[in-house]
Amino acid sequence: AVLKKRLVKLVVNFLFYFRTDEAEPIGALLLEHCKITKEEENVFSISFIEEPERKYCFECASEEQCQEWIEALKRASYEFMRRSLIFYRNEIQKMTGKDPLEQFGISEEARFQLGTPKQ
Amino acid sequence: MKLNERSVAHYATCDSPADRAGFLRKRVERHHHHAHHHHGTSYQRRWFVLKGNLLFYFEERESREPVGLVVLEGCTVELCEATEEFAFAIRFDDAGARAYVLVADGQAAMEAWVKALSRASFDYMRLVVRELEKQLEEACKSLAACHKSPWRSSSSGRKRHLSNPSLLPLQEKPAILENGYSTWGSSGGVSEGAACPDNDGGHSKPPPLPPRRRSAAGSTTGSPAPGLSPAMPESPVSPETACFSKLHSWYGQEIAVVRREWQERQKRGHP
Repeated sequence: AVLKKRLVKLVVNFLFYFRTDEAEPIGALLLEHCKITKEEENVFSISFIEEPERKYCFECASEEQCQEWIEALKRASYEFMRRSLIFYRNEIQKMTGKDPLEQFGISEEARFQLGTPKQ
Repeated sequence: MKLNERSVAHYATCDSPADRAGFLRKRVERHHHHAHHHHGTSYQRRWFVLKGNLLFYFEERESREPVGLVVLEGCTVELCEATEEFAFAIRFDDAGARAYVLVADGQAAMEAWVKALSRASFDYMRLVVRELEKQLEEACKSLAACHKSPWRSSSSGRKRHLSNPSLLPLQEKPAILENGYSTWGSSGGVSEGAACPDNDGGHSKPPPLPPRRRSAAGSTTGSPAPGLSPAMPESPVSPETACFSKLHSWYGQEIAVVRREWQERQKRGHP
């Protein structure tokens, strides 16, 4: 496999990549139901649940940069945020007895209910 | 523009719960060669599925792949004065992006869709999560302030509540693993081991939330770009929304091409 130099942008739950001199992306990866793995030095990969052997590999300039990207990408999905929200809501409710989502008018929405985690 | 379409289709059709699903009629957007000729509007009935900040639509409810995808970022959802009743539109800040005019089958459905779509963006979620994070910190601080001696061991139980999802000890709760997958992968957890932040009245930093939109990019090679600094201001006219409108047109074209090829193969009698 050949490594190509790309400009990579994480925008909400998408990873866009560009040829370095162009304004428009040549591709994107939706970062839901994916796994970020540290590979060899300076390298991480992204793979998806329905095709775990297929890895999109990225080589970074340094190990530090590699770790930063891994941390950011692990938290990039909407699903991750949803779970964080449910977690915080639950904790606040336990501590204060109040549902913090009420002020937003979204406490009844199905997507925020605490239940068995859905895969 | 390439997309990991198999993964996208999988996410769209897998049984992770949708935030909303139902039939809507979608206005067909035609490209007129003669701008002043109005060919009349028509609508196609499609099955729409909202998951997170993504609105998928399928030809049929049972279709195995979506025919389109709308990324709900940098957009507004508003009622529109179309000739159709119960019509609403998704419009993008990016002037070049096409709008989506959708028609519900009743007042209640229209209102529910508009509400759901208005709150679907990643940015909205992030706002709520940040706000809750702040509230949790404040709740912890006021609790800590109630204790005369913050070093008492009885507060060790409470320590757990102060921790954030990614630092929870495994035995307490299932670790909220990256990207919504808590049973996948052998690593067993994102929990970078240890400890809960210490409860000394301060409070260690919460984990970094998903990075904000930024105009500077991190690159995988070359200069050590501080691509992940969270302090960059968000620009109201974000270049990224242009990326999303590319995705929309991409998806439509790609599916059309694949279909044509399949139909041709069928004609030629290929399996």
